Amino acid sequence: MAGTSPTLDTSSIAASSGHRTGRALFLAGRVVLGGIFIYAAYSKLHFAGSWHLRDYYFFFAMAINSYNMLSMAAVEWMAKILPWFELALGTLLVLGIGVRWVSSALTVLLLVFMAALTRAAMLGLEINCGCFGYNSQKPTTELFHDSGLLILGLAVTIGAFMTQRARRLPA
Amino acid sequence: MSDRSRRFSAIGLGLALIALALAGPLWSQAKVGGSASSGSITPAQLTADKSLGSRQAPITIEVFADYQCPQCRNFYETVTRQLIDTYVNTGKVYLVHRDFPLSMHSHSHEAAHWLNAAAAAGFYAPVEQALYDKQDEWGPTGKIEPILMGVLSPADMKKVKLIESTEGSQLDAAVASDIAAGMSLHVEGTPTIFVHHAGKTEELPTGGVSYPLLKQYLDYLLQH
Repeated sequence: MAGTSPTLDTSSIAASSGHRTGRALFLAGRVVLGGIFIYAAYSKLHFAGSWHLRDYYFFFAMAINSYNMLSMAAVEWMAKILPWFELALGTLLVLGIGVRWVSSALTVLLLVFMAALTRAAMLGLEINCGCFGYNSQKPTTELFHDSGLLILGLAVTIGAFMTQRARRLPA
Repeated sequence: MSDRSRRFSAIGLGLALIALALAGPLWSQAKVGGSASSGSITPAQLTADKSLGSRQAPITIEVFADYQCPQCRNFYETVTRQLIDTYVNTGKVYLVHRDFPLSMHSHSHEAAHWLNAAAAAGFYAPVEQALYDKQDEWGPTGKIEPILMGVLSPADMKKVKLIESTEGSQLDAAVASDIAAGMSLHVEGTPTIFVHHAGKTEELPTGGVSYPLLKQYLDYLLQH
């Protein structure tokens, strides 16, 4: 029996290693971004040392109202649903359910937040961001934080679509 | 009636008139609601003088404000006035004013000083309203006395000036006491609003406290 020496396919090993690193980074980004949104929701429902499940909406409505850009009805509606929306999207992202659409929705949400913060900064408004609790921050500081999150959101969204595309390609 | 008894009656009447003349101003001063009527001014008494409503109200709202701050004026004009009419005057809210003059405003400390003098004389509410209503007039110049003269009678203004000249250091101590209270609560800007209810204290988010939202919150608290 003629011996055949096993040949090392270095390119496939490198590709496989690259895939694993990419997948690990994608997983980490997904969990971090989802976790941040879960924390954002938590900080709107639990503050000043206690849970505010029944009266959170009054505080968050006041924070949204400080942007001076929505009608009272819209402020109240947004204050009631946004924390739960953030919690749902964050949880889905961490669990890896509907990642493409969830990460896209979070990225769009971040763009909306950034647009509101930019407007507040340009108008010189003294806002209460309401992003992570009610420690008032300057719009510029919050814009800086949101920029980092936007980069992460875009990376996760691109990663999610690329993963889906790779799965569809024939092996 | 003999001459002697007539003389005694006249002396008695004269003494009674003198006593009445001396007691009159003291009595009218005692009618004034501020702490000056009790003879001594302390920061705690001045806080009571700068408060509106009943202490037994189920909710206490504490507002740290600066009379030269435009946001404070806006809060006063759009929220406080309606709050006083609907909740303070009906015994549901005890409204406490705290002075928190910001260093960025050149005359706000002076305004707080005069407001405390007016409060000690029992004229807190009209002077507060005048300071906010005419913020654009005294803000750039620091001419606060004419604003007070516009809302107080000459006799009342005299009382306020007397307190200001004799108790000036106590008035400043009251302002300093409010600032210290604010610092301990991590107050950084104005207006900063704290709501005390059922043993709990909540700070309301800055900048977005409108009357409709505050009303909803207060109604919720009153039901729970």
